[in-house]
Amino acid sequence: MTDRGQMIYLDYAASTPVDPWVVEAMTALMTADGNYSNPSSTHAAGRRSVEYIAHAAGQLASLLNTTEDTLVWTSGATESDNLAILGAAHYRRERGQHLITMRTEHKAVTDPFSELEKQGFEVTYLDPDANGLLDIETLRAAIREDTQLVSIMHVNNETGIIQDIQSIGALCRANDTLFHVDAAQSCGKLPIDLEALPVDLMSVTAHKMYGPKGIGALYIADRKGVHVEPLLFGGGQQRKLRPGTLPAQQIVGFGATAAIAQSRINEDFRHLTVLRDRMWAGIRDIPGVTVNGDIANGFPGILNVSVEDIEGESLLLALEPLCVATGSACNSKSQEPSYVLRALGLSDALAQSAIRFSFGRPTTAADVNVAIELYRNGVGKLRHLAPGRAA
Amino acid sequence: MSSDPYSAEVRALFAGPEHGGVLDSPLCVAVEDQGVRISLFATAEEGIVTGLRFQAWGCPHFIAAAEAFCAESEGRAARELLEFSVSGLMQSLSVPVEKSGRILVLEDAVRSLGSIVRGTSKH
Repeated sequence: MTDRGQMIYLDYAASTPVDPWVVEAMTALMTADGNYSNPSSTHAAGRRSVEYIAHAAGQLASLLNTTEDTLVWTSGATESDNLAILGAAHYRRERGQHLITMRTEHKAVTDPFSELEKQGFEVTYLDPDANGLLDIETLRAAIREDTQLVSIMHVNNETGIIQDIQSIGALCRANDTLFHVDAAQSCGKLPIDLEALPVDLMSVTAHKMYGPKGIGALYIADRKGVHVEPLLFGGGQQRKLRPGTLPAQQIVGFGATAAIAQSRINEDFRHLTVLRDRMWAGIRDIPGVTVNGDIANGFPGILNVSVEDIEGESLLLALEPLCVATGSACNSKSQEPSYVLRALGLSDALAQSAIRFSFGRPTTAADVNVAIELYRNGVGKLRHLAPGRAA
Repeated sequence: MSSDPYSAEVRALFAGPEHGGVLDSPLCVAVEDQGVRISLFATAEEGIVTGLRFQAWGCPHFIAAAEAFCAESEGRAARELLEFSVSGLMQSLSVPVEKSGRILVLEDAVRSLGSIVRGTSKH
């Protein structure tokens, strides 16, 4: 049995530790003896910062197989999503005001769409199938002549389900509709080839892939009709699409993060697959336990499970010292079941019992063994404590 | 931003609910409401509660409150069950106000148990 005081972090879908090599690269741009100058300055030090940023852009562009000039730096995926959705909708407003997304998207996507509805846009929210996948025929039926933007995430942050962005993008192209992908959970973890993929806008962030918080990027395809109106004004940086002093150390950190990810993406994937399969094998015989999503079509870094007749908040506490995520939009003030899991057809009770285990580079088989033991013990304890239901 | 939603006392009561379980006694009650379920079992002699056990399905605060009630009420006069109020437990366990409804289910269950105990002693 593990020392209960020792935290075991299995919440890598929420955030990851920064790779030490990334920290080193960033530190060199922050200290007095480093290159801390403003990249907008025209002096030699400023020009040196520009070179660092250009190098980082090349590293991220290489990971995504695109060109540097298609990337706009942002503060993270939320800002990228907002810039893509609000910016593209506003830019193409005269062509039409119909937009499409899914009910299972992250709030960073659904909330901008809600904002656009207030502005007079019409939004269609598509339901997934029971595994969380989008049926391409559902999308085909929803696209109209005035549809201007479709936004579907690559890997779902709660279930890990991987959407077929190749097919979705092809359908959007055939209908002259922009396609935005929130790739916060997939960038650096799954191969992404933006030269080949029919994707117009893609949001990425560093802190889900062992980089720093506070830096992300939006890919904007170099293609006719693909453009976004800016959300911020002032300074004119980044072709006025996202002005503001560029955080050189953050950008260099993201570049280094991308380079590391590119060098070990297959190794990481195999590691995560072994861990996810080990975890599921260790708990799948518990009566009433089910996978939310689909292991066959899921990113192996995420395993989301529900269990019958278990109260989710108590299970989460019983799992300590595991750091995992609950399926509820959970804090002490809100025990609402996850809207993502409800969209998959789960009952409130099953959705509320959901636990998301997410694994990372530092996760070991021993960590997973402890997680298995804690989960089995937690479910057993709560079931032992629970009264039967009245007939 | 998040802070620990559980006090040290709630954590301790939840981790080791010594009164979790059942008693082979006719003095028992089961209540389900507000998304929680609780069963209470009691033994009593000469107007004194000699044993209490509970089974509960609910959040950690609810389970901790049930355990705290049992621990505090053994050895006390059975008639006190009829006047039981969760207000003291709400304070001592720092139960968030939005959970008041489910904690009140414990109060209903205890008072029902008190009625059963009183009815038995009259006979």
